[in-house]
Amino acid sequence: MSRGNPTSSPLTPTDDALIVAIRGGDERALAHLYRLHWPMVSHFVLQNSGTDDDAQDVYQEGVMVFYEKVRDGSLELSCQIKTYLYAVCRRLWLKRLTSKSRFGVRLLDDEEHGPYLNTGAEEDLLAAEEQDRRFDTMSEALNHLGEPCRSLLEGFYLHDKSMQDLTAAFGYTNADNAKNQKYKCLVRLKKLFFTHYKEEST
Amino acid sequence: MMTEADYYALFEAYALGELAGPARANLEARLAADPALALRYADFTELTDTLRAYGQRQQVRQQLKSMHATMLAADAPEAFIPAGTLPETGQLTSSVNPILRISRTERRLRDFWNGHRATMGVAASVAVLAVFSTLLGLEWWRAAKTQPSMYGYTVLRREVERIKKSQKDLSITLNQFGRSAATPPVARESSGTGFALTSEGYLVTSYHVIQGADSVLVEGHDRKRYHAEPVYSDRKHDLAILRITDKKFTGFGRLPYAIKEGEADLGERVYTLGFPREDVVYGEGALSARSGFKGDTAFYQVSIPVNPGNSGGPLLDERGNLIGVVSGRQNDAQSAAFATKSSYLVRLVDSLAAAKPAVPYLLPRYGQLAGNSRPQQLKKLQDYVFVVKVFE
Repeated sequence: MSRGNPTSSPLTPTDDALIVAIRGGDERALAHLYRLHWPMVSHFVLQNSGTDDDAQDVYQEGVMVFYEKVRDGSLELSCQIKTYLYAVCRRLWLKRLTSKSRFGVRLLDDEEHGPYLNTGAEEDLLAAEEQDRRFDTMSEALNHLGEPCRSLLEGFYLHDKSMQDLTAAFGYTNADNAKNQKYKCLVRLKKLFFTHYKEEST
Repeated sequence: MMTEADYYALFEAYALGELAGPARANLEARLAADPALALRYADFTELTDTLRAYGQRQQVRQQLKSMHATMLAADAPEAFIPAGTLPETGQLTSSVNPILRISRTERRLRDFWNGHRATMGVAASVAVLAVFSTLLGLEWWRAAKTQPSMYGYTVLRREVERIKKSQKDLSITLNQFGRSAATPPVARESSGTGFALTSEGYLVTSYHVIQGADSVLVEGHDRKRYHAEPVYSDRKHDLAILRITDKKFTGFGRLPYAIKEGEADLGERVYTLGFPREDVVYGEGALSARSGFKGDTAFYQVSIPVNPGNSGGPLLDERGNLIGVVSGRQNDAQSAAFATKSSYLVRLVDSLAAAKPAVPYLLPRYGQLAGNSRPQQLKKLQDYVFVVKVFE
């Protein structure tokens, strides 16, 4: 935890343990967390005119934000995980609702989830949105790249395959050839990516 | 000259820590010295980092999806789920959240309600607002129409509602004090009280009782009815003289009361008979002031409780002399009724008699009531007090 003083921490011991485990890459901890808070979020979304699919989307998005923050170690929780997740998902769902509805949206909140304000969720979500935009641009750039560059780069960077495997899979004569090809692809990707990304930013 | 791809190869080797000592130091020095190269390196790291993070995100997303599926599969009652098939999500949420086990219709209703809550709220408030403003507006409009003044307005309304069918019209004080133009009562049929003036068939009532009348019907204590016509009205003093026009009418006989020409004294005990309802009603009190509403000297103020329908009734003193004609009351004061002084009646009759009408006015000079007990007086009196029904 980024907080030094355990006595003043509002986190419960299980929260702490969970965060430590998740940061360590423990998939079961994440699954446990996922299962623990799903009813809350699903109830919230269903209560506020959402469907099961909406609830699942929103919840996964929320958990993703949380998970990525935990993995970078940049998470600064000032409340329980439950409250944080509730705040994040609430915010996400509110955004979707407002974009769908012509009128102002008022959400029905569960009293028990209390003060969902000041959980830091707002800023984290802003950062996450920026990240999403970057990923969207990346996905776009990859789509424009064309084969075999796209598969080559995805194989290497996304799926962590070794150069040897890729050389064999793409039928290059040797690993250096494959590597050269990969760098050329990378240069093209860079052009596509940065042009789009900067276009969108301005 | 190195191509960009060559630089990328170099950068990657550097980032992975594959560069040997001197080459590494060389690159670091160049990065520090050459901003263009440093920028290129930054782009490279950003690109590869984004690529890796993107890959990771996809992976996590996949992971979460499978977690969701396993969670649902684990939570669902096993008996209903054939092995290996993913259960339908819709069924399952309800078992995850027992509270949400609601019927399809209810769900639809809830969705509708949630979706249109704001709209319906606005619509409802607009409706409520419209209803109330209409009611209020109507109220104001009616108020403005019936009475411009604050006095009497409430009572007139009550009058109209109450006596829709029957009775009696004690008009509001304002009417007879001539502050406003005549406002006929809304009821089609209204009524007041009247009493015999001469034995030949002249009657007295209040002007506002017969105001706007199409026809006037006089009904006695014994239920006998006569048609009557207004002979003269004095709006200023709220007096009207009627004459019975029926052929079969033979005369009242001798009147038991005399009409006082002078003024009565303050504090005298006085009483009246009238028809605020179907039956004759007796009211008693004292003469409480020798001037009327807003100091009008043509009127007495008396402390008799009067009601709509009492207008036009005779006001008598202890000895059975007629001293006034009940006219109205002040709404914002406790039992303050007003009666036209009999001296004005006498003066009016004198001026009418001077015109030599076909039927002469012979006012009763002597009363027969003095010395009788009050019930005796009333017994004699009641044959000479009438309901005046007015049809508009």
